Order: sequence, then structure tokens, then C-alpha cells
Amino acid sequence: MSTPTAEVYRIDWLPGTDVLHGVCHCGAERTAEDPVELWQWMLAHPSGHHPAVPSEDQPTGHREEPRS
Amino acid sequence: MTAFAKNQWYVAAYGREIGRELLGRTFLDEPIAFYRAESDDQVIALADRCVHRRYPLTAGRLDGDTVVCGYHGFTYDTGGTCVFVPGQKRVPRTARVRSYPVVERDSLVWVWIGDPALADPGAVPRAPWLADPRWTTVGGMEPIDADYGLLVDNLLDLSHETYLHGGYIGTPEVAETPITTEVDEGAGVVRVSRHMDDAECPPFYARSTGIEGRITRWQDIEYHAPCLYLLHSRIAPVGVGPEPDGSDPNAFHVEITYAITPSTDRQVYDFWAVSRDFAQDDEEVSTFLHDLNRTVVLQDVAALNVLQKALDTEREGYQELSINIDTGGLAARRILARLAAEGEKTAPVVASP
Repeated sequence: MSTPTAEVYRIDWLPGTDVLHGVCHCGAERTAEDPVELWQWMLAHPSGHHPAVPSEDQPTGHREEPRS
Repeated sequence: MTAFAKNQWYVAAYGREIGRELLGRTFLDEPIAFYRAESDDQVIALADRCVHRRYPLTAGRLDGDTVVCGYHGFTYDTGGTCVFVPGQKRVPRTARVRSYPVVERDSLVWVWIGDPALADPGAVPRAPWLADPRWTTVGGMEPIDADYGLLVDNLLDLSHETYLHGGYIGTPEVAETPITTEVDEGAGVVRVSRHMDDAECPPFYARSTGIEGRITRWQDIEYHAPCLYLLHSRIAPVGVGPEPDGSDPNAFHVEITYAITPSTDRQVYDFWAVSRDFAQDDEEVSTFLHDLNRTVVLQDVAALNVLQKALDTEREGYQELSINIDTGGLAARRILARLAAEGEKTAPVVASP
């Protein structure tokens, strides 16, 4: 059997919009309108998910990545 | 093409398909002969090529628990060891064909493709309703002349029901309703959920359940990569939900099971089954669901055959465009790529005879 693990990634397509909202298993979140971009960010964990030095305008786990 | 993932369990057949006649199928480019042993009814899976001149064993015959090659009579036991060669007493030590680990579970026969030492029967994903007397199941299998990845794409994105299967299982709400996608990376499972609160009832459910009017329709997909795809389908009149205790006596439940087993880089076996927890003894409902779902599967077969032919004319590196409906399919593609890479790393080196 495929035993459930804690490494779960989730993407919600927000009703009434074209926006996707991704939540990593580490708690980091991000929104995007392109599923390819969102998966790239999500699966790059931990890269870009937990900034080394949290700042006021960049809370832990919520750093925005440049769009490719 | 979508790379094959070795060191995985794959559905080879329904248990009812394998008996005292040799059945030949090819999985991940490996031709395999199946039969049931006379002594204990166990399913045996051997490489479908005689070690002598590569004649297919499926062109031979069974003799008790052994297989006799139809060309020169080389005879193999259930473990693939050659126990008889014509005209001489000494059987060469290297005279053996590969035998494959097999598990028969939930009415399905699973075969392990990869290093036999890594085969864990406990890792076979389950579809218990297929062999549960509280459910009635109809099913079948259709080969598709396409890369198996096209079938994974197809099943992970059910918005195509609206267009390819309109008038059968598709209604406008399927394509219109946003999905939620979850990936359990460690388990290799992709979940895609689409819950429609107020939807048209397609003929597939209207005629089988007797519901007249609009419905609440839930589609919860669980894809256990690489082979097993489960679609938990819940149908109820609009506004009728499960009870607070979690029971759901006022809804109709249909478990739609697919097994996606790659054969070659241009063929995939599409095993399908529809299990229901209502009208279990109604033969008319069974016939209706079987025939309608087979029609739907054949619509997929035709579409994917066409798509594969079109892709074969494309230049390498052709462009695609993915949108929100593809969120689950993209996740599945990535998991398959990871499983394929892991299978390559541990793939045994098989010496050519």
C-alpha cells in the first residue's frame, strides 16, 4: 500500500477566480495563475520556502519568487 | 515518451482471465506468459521466450504445472527452470526463463516488473470493493495505441468529460468546477477533487440511480502512481450530504477503478471497472453501466489513438500549454518521472543469453 506521509503539497483553485493557491508541507504559501510555475515553486522545497533571514515585509515561509 | 517506472507493481489481468490456458501480455516491453498451476491454482508468470530459440512459450502448451515449448519441447517448471530438453539427459545449467513475482488481490493479478528481490507484496495498492460482496462490479480492458502518459493525463483531468464524453458522463459543470489537488510525495499519490453542488445528472447516473433532477456530484480521484487510479464518485439529490456521524445512507456511491499498465512505448492496457453500492442485484443496471462505461472508454481509446498519431508527427521538443485543469496531471507526470529515475538506479543488469 501507499502509506500516507507528511510530505503533502496542496493546490486549491480558488472558486470564482483563475487563481491557484499552493500550500507546501512546510507551511509556505503562494498564489499563481500558472500551474507549471506553482509546481516548480512548490517542489523546489525548501529552496525559496524559508528565507534565511526573516524580515518584516517578508515573513517566514511567504517569500515571493521572481516569475520565470 | 513517458519513461517506464521499473521496480513497481502493475496490474497484469483480472484473476478471471488467467486459467489453464496460456495468456500472453507485454509489460514495459517484457513479454510475459501467465497461467494457473494445476496443483495449487497459483498464478505463474514466466518470460514468454524459450531460452533455446526465443520461441514464445504462449505458442506452446501446459502439462500439469509445467509449460512445454511448442517448437522443440523445452519444458519449464513454475519457477522458470528448464526440467526437460529433447534428445539428451543433461539439461544445461543456464536453461531457465525469468519468473516474475505475482500477487492476486482484490480480483486483480499484479506483476512486479523490476528486481524480484525488491518486490514487496504489502506495497500493492488496494481496491477492495472489486472483491467485496457488498459491491457489484462490471469491468473490462481495452488496449490503447498510445504512450501510457497520455492515459494518465486523460484520467487526472476529468474536465475532458464535458467535451469528449458529453451525453454520457459529461455535463457542463465538470469543466466549470474548480479542483483541489494534493500530492503526497512520499507515498507517490496524487489526489484531485471536484465537488459539484448543483449539477446536471448525466445519463450514466440518471438511469442507474433513478434520480430525476439535479444532483450533488463529487469526484475524488486517488492516483497511486504508476498504475492504480481510483475515482470515488458520490451522487445525491441536490442538498443531500453525509450525516454528521460520517455515514452517507442517502447517496449513491460508485467506485471507478482504472489500472494503467504500460505495454510498449506506444501501447497501454486500460483496465476499467465500475463498482456500485446500490441496485446490486439488478442485472439491467449492470448491463447498462457496463455498456455505457465501455462506450466511454472506447471514446478515450479513439481520442488517444488520434492524439498519439498527431504527436508522432510533431518535432522533438514541441510546445504544450498547461492551465488550471492540468494541475493534477502535471503532478502525476512529475511523480512518474521520479519513479522512473529511481527504477533506473536500482534496475538489475540482466545478462543476455
